[in-house]
Amino acid sequence: MKPEKVDRLATYLILAGASLVGIIVLLLLGYLLVTGLPHVSWHFLTSSSESFRSGGGIRDQLFNSLYLVVLTLLVSVPLALIAAIYLSEYAPTNRWTELLRLAIEVLSSLPSVVVGLFGYLVFVLQWGFDFSLLAGAFALTILNLPLLTRSIEDALHQVPALQRRAGLGLGMSKWRVTTKIVLPQALSGIITGAILSAGRIFGEAAALIYTAGQSAPAIDYQNWNPFSPTSFLNPMRPAETLAVHIWKVNSEGLVPDARAVSNGSVVVLIITILLFNLLARLLGNLIQRRLAK
Amino acid sequence: MTTDPALQIQNLTISYGEKEVVHDVSMKFPANQITALIGASGSGKSTVLRSLNRMNDDLATVDGQILFEGLNINQPDVNVYQVRQRIGMVFQQPTPFPLSIYENVIYGLRLAGEKDKRVLDQRVEESLKQAALWDEVKDQLKESAFALSGGQQQRLCIARTLAVRPEIILMDEPTSALDPLSTSQIEATMVDLKKDFTMIIVTHNMQQASRSADWTAYLDQGRLVEFDRTAQIFMNPQQQQTADYLSGKFG
Repeated sequence: MKPEKVDRLATYLILAGASLVGIIVLLLLGYLLVTGLPHVSWHFLTSSSESFRSGGGIRDQLFNSLYLVVLTLLVSVPLALIAAIYLSEYAPTNRWTELLRLAIEVLSSLPSVVVGLFGYLVFVLQWGFDFSLLAGAFALTILNLPLLTRSIEDALHQVPALQRRAGLGLGMSKWRVTTKIVLPQALSGIITGAILSAGRIFGEAAALIYTAGQSAPAIDYQNWNPFSPTSFLNPMRPAETLAVHIWKVNSEGLVPDARAVSNGSVVVLIITILLFNLLARLLGNLIQRRLAK
Repeated sequence: MTTDPALQIQNLTISYGEKEVVHDVSMKFPANQITALIGASGSGKSTVLRSLNRMNDDLATVDGQILFEGLNINQPDVNVYQVRQRIGMVFQQPTPFPLSIYENVIYGLRLAGEKDKRVLDQRVEESLKQAALWDEVKDQLKESAFALSGGQQQRLCIARTLAVRPEIILMDEPTSALDPLSTSQIEATMVDLKKDFTMIIVTHNMQQASRSADWTAYLDQGRLVEFDRTAQIFMNPQQQQTADYLSGKFG
């Protein structure tokens, strides 16, 4: 065959493959929107769930999911940042560093059910956290750390090596170069990575069933004291998240409108994750532009 | 040697891991002069240059003495950060930070804790004038350094190095990424700077060495072959090896 023909054929094949992936995603998204969107209303978003009657909402589950994302990021971003700075800026190239990278990669391939059961044994029972947001946040941190560390490390690597040498050449210490030159330039990538990871943990269910729990006790949104058991801010209370709610409603839901609740929850979940992705892009671009100015 | 050396190296031997790449090099760099290090790729000239202000600390093992103002600065207990403030460096490619022109110039000074606006303003003007960039940028000091051309960026980096007021400036192929016009501007700047600074430059460009350097050292495979006044090296080299290298390139 002539090179031009082969080239055209290859182009068609690549285009077909890419379109297939795109179409599958769009079909799924469309199906979920069509089946779920009619059930999403202001009432659905702002009322608490029901156990036996129909007409329940997802207010608490949605809040729990968002709050859990915040808690998880509070724990995992500093840890991942420290690990990534070590790996990118300080780690020598030797066996020990390779072992460390391997360990991180292995951690990222752990099934989330295993992480959930590990969290149940260690955080819930051993450390006495009980079923709580904090236990959930720790379990999600284990899931989140490898990918977040990797994405922050990538962001740090994007900063040209010459920038570091220019800083060192001016008599700056390595730590100063890292904090004053490398981190500011990597900021947009770090924030993007953190928000994208927020989207991932927002949809996680398996790791939470045995850590954050499956119950959503009544909480008081006026109570700002995080140590009070009924406060919405209390990190030690059990908290069913949106993803866990979807799983529970589908597997053992007793409400007559279980199907509709599930579909509506899925739509809210997906739209929120899409918003996270959008936000990551917007913020990333914004910081990038400010930096270049 | 007619002038006092600003910097002197004695029996400098440098290895990357097991591999020795610079063998027993000794040189005196005269003050307020430009010394060029020339040689083929892999001759060790850049390695020598980067060792002079301890930029090779993490990468290589440097044995031997580097004497600066009577002190051997190649010792673990010497403060490398102060060394690098006194012996500044300009790199192959312009490396402005993503900040305004003004902030770039005073970066080192700010880190040293200087806050007085008058001092900073004055130092910016002085350093940019020394780097022959003032007239071109004096009305846009608050604008991003990225808006400048490559040649201007490199002169900005020279100004940034000058603003810390070093005694010696090391230049690692400072014009290799620039066009001929920018190159000749940088060379002219270097000659102007001689009265205040000692410069040591690594270059692949032999015309550059012959045009701007007072002294030239030819290195080959990690050994110093010949070191003399530039005119002497280019017109009447004492070593056959030097003559071969120069004629081969100039053909």
